[in-house]
Amino acid sequence: MSRLVKKSPSLCTDLPLDNTGICNSLHLLRQLLRSCIGPTGRLKQVHNNIGGHVITTSTSSVLLPAISSSQPFINLIKTSILNHVSRFSDCGLFAAILCLSLIEQAKQSGLRGNVATSVNKHLLGLCTSYLQQQDCGCKVKLDFCSSQSLITLARSIISSKPACVLTEREALHISKLAVQAFLLTVPCNSPGIVSLGKIVTVSVEGHSVLNSAVFPGLLVDMPDVFCLNKVENLHSNPMRMVLFSASLAGDLSDLGGIIEVHPGVDTDSQILDQLLKLGQQVVKDEVKLFICQKVIHPVLQQYLRSHGIMVIERLGITLMEPLTQLTGSQPVATLHTTIPAKAYGKVRDLSIKQFGSKTMLHLQPPGDSAICTMILCHRNETMLSELKVVCQKTEHVLRLTLREPSALLGGGCTETHLAAYVRHKSMDKVTETVSVLGCSQTEYLRGVEGFCRSLESLAAALEHDGGNSLMDLTHAHHWSHPADVMEERMEDSSGFCGCGLVESSTNQKWTYLNTKYPQFSPAPLFRVPTVQPRVLDSFTAKLNALQVAVETANLALDVRYVIQDMN
Amino acid sequence: MSRLTGTPFPYRGGGGGEKMTGPERAGEAEENSESVGMLPMEHLHLEHVLQTVCVLESVVLRSFGPEGGQVLFTRDTGQAMLSRSGTRILTALRLEHPLARMVVECVLKHSTVTGDGSKTFILLLASLLRMIQKTACKEPNVSHTYNSRETAEASTARHLADKMLAFALEELDDIIAMGVVPYGCCLSWEDFTAKTQLPTCPINHCVQKLLASFFHSRLGRTHCDFISNLTCEMLTHWKFKSDLPSSLLQFVNDNFSALHTPVSGFPISCSRLIEGQVIHRDFATPCPQADHQPVKAVVVTGCLQPKLLSAGEVLVLGSGEQGREENSRKESSIVQFTAWAERSLECVIAKLQSLGVSVLLSAVKQSAAVLALAAQADMCIVECVSEDELSLFAQLSGATPVSDCWMIEPEHVAALTFCRPILLGAHRYVHVAFHDSEERITVKPCSLVICGPGEGQTDQYACAFQDAIRMLLSTWEPIDITATTASKKTLQPNKSTCLHVDNQIVKASPFQQCVLEPGCVIPAGGTFEFLLNHALLQHGSSCSISDDTIMGAPAVSQLFANALLSVPRNIYFYSLRRFLQTQTRLLSFIQNHSHPFSHVYKQEHNTIVVQGRGKSECPLEEGKLINHCCGETDVSSQVFMSDSGLESVSCKYQLLVAVLQCVSSLLHVDTVLHTHTALHTPSRRLADISWEGTEDEAED
Repeated sequence: MSRLVKKSPSLCTDLPLDNTGICNSLHLLRQLLRSCIGPTGRLKQVHNNIGGHVITTSTSSVLLPAISSSQPFINLIKTSILNHVSRFSDCGLFAAILCLSLIEQAKQSGLRGNVATSVNKHLLGLCTSYLQQQDCGCKVKLDFCSSQSLITLARSIISSKPACVLTEREALHISKLAVQAFLLTVPCNSPGIVSLGKIVTVSVEGHSVLNSAVFPGLLVDMPDVFCLNKVENLHSNPMRMVLFSASLAGDLSDLGGIIEVHPGVDTDSQILDQLLKLGQQVVKDEVKLFICQKVIHPVLQQYLRSHGIMVIERLGITLMEPLTQLTGSQPVATLHTTIPAKAYGKVRDLSIKQFGSKTMLHLQPPGDSAICTMILCHRNETMLSELKVVCQKTEHVLRLTLREPSALLGGGCTETHLAAYVRHKSMDKVTETVSVLGCSQTEYLRGVEGFCRSLESLAAALEHDGGNSLMDLTHAHHWSHPADVMEERMEDSSGFCGCGLVESSTNQKWTYLNTKYPQFSPAPLFRVPTVQPRVLDSFTAKLNALQVAVETANLALDVRYVIQDMN
Repeated sequence: MSRLTGTPFPYRGGGGGEKMTGPERAGEAEENSESVGMLPMEHLHLEHVLQTVCVLESVVLRSFGPEGGQVLFTRDTGQAMLSRSGTRILTALRLEHPLARMVVECVLKHSTVTGDGSKTFILLLASLLRMIQKTACKEPNVSHTYNSRETAEASTARHLADKMLAFALEELDDIIAMGVVPYGCCLSWEDFTAKTQLPTCPINHCVQKLLASFFHSRLGRTHCDFISNLTCEMLTHWKFKSDLPSSLLQFVNDNFSALHTPVSGFPISCSRLIEGQVIHRDFATPCPQADHQPVKAVVVTGCLQPKLLSAGEVLVLGSGEQGREENSRKESSIVQFTAWAERSLECVIAKLQSLGVSVLLSAVKQSAAVLALAAQADMCIVECVSEDELSLFAQLSGATPVSDCWMIEPEHVAALTFCRPILLGAHRYVHVAFHDSEERITVKPCSLVICGPGEGQTDQYACAFQDAIRMLLSTWEPIDITATTASKKTLQPNKSTCLHVDNQIVKASPFQQCVLEPGCVIPAGGTFEFLLNHALLQHGSSCSISDDTIMGAPAVSQLFANALLSVPRNIYFYSLRRFLQTQTRLLSFIQNHSHPFSHVYKQEHNTIVVQGRGKSECPLEEGKLINHCCGETDVSSQVFMSDSGLESVSCKYQLLVAVLQCVSSLLHVDTVLHTHTALHTPSRRLADISWEGTEDEAED
């Protein structure tokens, strides 16, 4: 009975979105995230109260888990966005800011909750169907014949994370490496279902970013450098290797009951004898590389080394799968039966690679293999950890292009273009739409205005240095101007739009974002093949982010009551 | 933070943070508390009961009806959840007051059966209590001698509640059958069949509409159509060749945990059906590359590697010369034993290989040696598969699981069309599809993938989904209630007045028959309540012969009728005009097609049933929902019917009975004893044990 703790009653809040406290905290979160987005976004330092190390970041996947709030609203939005990020790796900040500003706009417009949600959902439908159209004005087909557009896509992601602290040149180098590594994981000639390989990332601290490199095959840590001199002899033909997944430390396997050992019986030596018999077989089968996931008994290690076999122990579970794929071996876990010939794998080449303090053994695949290793170098730990996160995201985004080989124009151009499209398109068949949605025409128009403003505010959020955000009135692309440029001289100063596809010309008209402008149909671009977009965003990630943001905002707007469990 | 006090609670509006504690024990209740021995007592008055229920009502109202919204709540783990489900909301409140807990218990019991109606439950409860209180305060039972007005009121209220319950148990089904059912229609199982034959034709309109209005009330307007389509599609796929709908629904309900996969991080529109079954585990060995068909699979429930010793046995490693002792084995080298274990494992694998098995589904974790040997034999293993999934797999594949691999026979081997990894959200699972067999030609096994932005949402969708299945199930369940016949009624017009409180069991009459057709539905949006209200009022006036006291049958049915209107009133809370319009439209509709059930009671009854059956055989169309009772429909009614969804009559009936039972049990409580688990008084230990149970709930 004493263990029974009385549950305390829950704390209730009625109509939470009318509560100023909640609205303020949502607004604060929006400001916080808004200041992080884009290449010039401001960094955030996260440190805990017990003196753990400080993280510097502007990435949503690192930042959002660090924000803890007692406010269930914040948690609701946070989990939605984090789930999106874990599936798509990109556009987390986009989704979070869009969601929060949709909520704010809906509150400001004073629409009934149900009206706001159904208008948002209707407009989301317009957006998604437009984005999936062939002739969508803000979508580009990715060309796999050249790596150019892939590198652009990778660089847009890498340069949008300023916490990596990369120069232009370094960013380009990392982007190229990311694309190279990605291409290495795509198997060349496997018919049927293609399964992608794996990039194993190794991070090395204290070196210049330009020392980062990608190698085909695997790099395995070599803690003791005993038999390195032998490596030179191993540059021969493909050599045999064996991989053990069971422990070879000589411990007793579990037989189920109790084992009673009488004095005079030495089980250890019995087991060791068995292990050495295994060693004999391996030597007889001319194995040159002996790898074990777990610990190897030192006597066995010594025996194998004395026969010129290279031994690697404690490989760890994570490298097991790439290693089996690389060598074509099958892990062995039986100690008493003879190792079947098909369990052996092959390695083409062994060499030693030195990265700072790390000595690594480079295993090269015998034939085609989709396994590669990426060595990432950076000057200090904080930047390195951010760089590692960014590279993993880039890899994921590049993989997403295999499913849907498209990208969206970056630099805010997609957002402004989409907003202009929605404004224009929503004017079609207003009366029918209004009757389907069950609201009045003014309510509908207010809903559209809120939705478009939220989209435009995202484009405007890319500007952090007090500059102006504008939109041209022909293609509806996004332009930004430094704060000190006067309006009259706008035409001369601006070079290209946000994504770099449109060049400014004298007969263009601009409007400031979030001001009223006559609705128009954004004109498609005549693509000149020589002009390539300079910033690209992932299509799949952004499409999902858009859907998740609107859906989460709708859920939040639908909340009428909050019950907080205080236990 | 304001604590709720004895003032009437504002039903809509208000705001700000409130600490939910149920009604205060302070105030009048505290003043009246006496102490009996060591127990603090709290006398309950009608208004306390009402207050408690009104507080619950005010919470539930926020998410009630088409204009209602979600309730956001946090679990004690800090996870944010969304829900519009009444039961979820009520349990999340963690109420303290025993009365409130009792109400929540009643709601839970009701909704685990029907999967629906928890919010309406609270609404009706509050409305009934208000009506009873009003009546009791107006005319307290002065005929008896009570020492205070309050006790008199309480006793009147109690009597009223009992009368109402007795009335409901006895006559309500008849009244519903006469006054409501004729205006509804019957879902027919053939709707589903038609769908399979003509996939493009939306014939199972009724089922879909029923589901749509259910999901509307549970998930909100934006997704209800999508989810109800998905549900229909799933049920169509699962339809058994000749089985009854209830057995299919029961099957889906029982296996729901194995049949759905929640995936977070995607919009809900990504939810879909996939062929076959998803086993919520990943391959423990490299997954199969083979394209050959069929893939042969075996389900094992135990370890493949034989255990040398069972739990109690002792292995003694001696020097060799001693003999064998009982219950223990002696050998000199440990290696022999491990070698034996490995060799026997090899034999098992070889046996499996000879049967052509390439997939092993295991209920337990297998040893590393098993995994390695299986991989070498080109077999793949899925470990730790849950019991539910294995039993579903066994049902679908027709193969029986094996516990001992030495005993494996061809009948244990299941044939699959494929077995491959599937990536759903963050997890990689095993996806299997089954070969067609004779007994289930029309069944296409399929699983449901439920997507949502977060875990809380997928959870909400899954719960709603399962409750929808429960709701359909109870819609189809025939209600075995005894119907009193017309002749009996005319003989005993005042029977209900002399019915005693305790006599709640209805006498079985020789004319037992099932009145409510299984699968009967009625347009949503308060239609049921309006119709029943009308029927009850008519019934009240028709049997008012001599009895016009407040305890009389007419008064009781009138009271009940008025209480019912609270439901549509809350559906149309945003505009009284809409409420009145709907009511008038329905009433005028009834008058225009005046139904002769009050005159030729028995005969008409029979024809309705017959017509109902006849109707169910042909596919129903939207505009003809009600034409089997009145022959022709007018345009206005068609308009009325087409824009609303449907709801189940039998669920509504069960709800009414459950609410009345709850009312009567609530009003029978007059005192709450607050016991203390006296950890500091060991002398009363025995007494403590008997009181422990009552600490959590009110004595009933």
